[in-house]
Amino acid sequence: MKHLHFDEVIVESGSESSPIYRNLRRTLGHLSFKVVDGIGTERVTSERGDRFGAAKKTLYLARHRGDFLKKCPGSEGQVCCNYFVINFASNCPMDCSYCYLQEYLADNAALKVFSNVNDLIDEADRTLARHRGVFFRIGTGEITDSLALEPYTGMVREIIPYFAEQPNVLLELKTKSDSVDGLLDLNPKGRVVVGWSMNPQKVIDLDEHGTASLGERLEAARLCQEAGYRLGFHFDPMIEYPGWESDYQTMLEQTFATIDWRKLSWLSLGVLRQTPGLKRTMRERYPKSDLLTGEQVLCPDGKFRYFQPLRVEMYRKMVRWIRRVAPTVKIYLCMESREVWEQVFGFAPACEKELGNQMAPEVQQPIHA
Amino acid sequence: MAESAIRDYATGRGFHRQTLERWLAWEAADQESLQEIAVSLKISENHLRDMLDWLEEISLRDVTKIHEILCRPAVLSIKTDPRLGRADKLKRIKEQLRRWRFPRLAAVEERIQLKIQALKLPAEIRLSVPPGLEGGRLRVEFSAGSVAELEELTKRLNAAATTTWTTEIFDLLSGQTTEKVQGQS
Repeated sequence: MKHLHFDEVIVESGSESSPIYRNLRRTLGHLSFKVVDGIGTERVTSERGDRFGAAKKTLYLARHRGDFLKKCPGSEGQVCCNYFVINFASNCPMDCSYCYLQEYLADNAALKVFSNVNDLIDEADRTLARHRGVFFRIGTGEITDSLALEPYTGMVREIIPYFAEQPNVLLELKTKSDSVDGLLDLNPKGRVVVGWSMNPQKVIDLDEHGTASLGERLEAARLCQEAGYRLGFHFDPMIEYPGWESDYQTMLEQTFATIDWRKLSWLSLGVLRQTPGLKRTMRERYPKSDLLTGEQVLCPDGKFRYFQPLRVEMYRKMVRWIRRVAPTVKIYLCMESREVWEQVFGFAPACEKELGNQMAPEVQQPIHA
Repeated sequence: MAESAIRDYATGRGFHRQTLERWLAWEAADQESLQEIAVSLKISENHLRDMLDWLEEISLRDVTKIHEILCRPAVLSIKTDPRLGRADKLKRIKEQLRRWRFPRLAAVEERIQLKIQALKLPAEIRLSVPPGLEGGRLRVEFSAGSVAELEELTKRLNAAATTTWTTEIFDLLSGQTTEKVQGQS
């Protein structure tokens, strides 16, 4: 994966005592650090008119006000996997052409890392301690990539030791990077899943700009597995194009040749999803992207997806190819309706807790590397 | 020439600025070809937006110019058909563009319609599928004016449910036969 390039770091006054500030100073010491009194909703300007792209060049370090831990919003009317999210950063330094943050963060596109990591841990601790009978799956990749900034911020390295000690949590770090070096000497004690968003190299080249190659992601996954981390793979967003079957089968073969599927926590499948607003943004930022031309229809939750018989067929094929190698691995669909679950698997979870619990039981006991 | 006519048309019909800007961002020949249809069929903004979407996406996918798409014989024959009124022409042109934009979806929908027709159900029973086939369910509506008629209709429905046509409709709705359709398209 290519190194990230920032033009400057802007620090909110008061954040200088944070361990994240210390890490940034060490890793990005060659850049100008500007300390400012307050950071609000940053309006980034760009000569080329691409404000969203331009926003990725300045790194902000600021205190997060509000809750860190939230229930994943899911998508209206779709089967939910009872997931929680912690947002320790906002926006992503990579630039996938289909990324929903282009719309979601359009008015607040600044690339921010939050400095008050102790508040994050305190808040998580209050919730986890108060509900010891509940098993939490917590992701950190909702509005940022969990690991892309790790070589600079060391954020994940700061929080893993806390989560590794908790009996009722599984922390998922979801990424398209290969930035795992800082994780390998920690002991996750079976409480951390590193999850990769996966696509064939052709899709990575065309639409996942600035991300690690497929080979780099797999090598990073192998290293994490050796270091005792649980792994997850998210084949999401799956892209349909002439020859997709062959490319996805090859990707699966490479994946299962590199990692031990018996130690996988889960695999998820999801097809490309776009809201009308995201599609408008994609037309402006990536007008030649073939992603705009798929046979997608507007679904009741307001998102375009490949029409149902087509995407059900895609899911069935993926499940068949995965099951050939990994017959018992847990597979779930991300943001899909009960009808699609029924058509793909022959059943749908009765409720979100059922799906969440299906992911949880095997992690009640720590694994040993 | 086309640009000022397009501005006049869009302003006259109260189009949103973004819709106008998007249309004017096209090459002149493309702008003009759509303007000619828009003016003659008095296309409203919602219909026009659908057409902008589909035409841009067909053009991108098929590496062809928008004015070439609008000059295809299938469109020309609708435009010049004296039997069709303005609303019917618009409806048919949009249907044609949608077929080109979503060829496999349209093929599945057409196959389902053929199978529904093959069931030869009475007019009191109506079978339909959702737009875009989302949800994967077959909708069945019927109305009866008497107990005897209701009994007759339910008998016909029961008989229809056991035919291969009905099985194939559900296969199509659940993607079981998408591959076959892909092979044919």
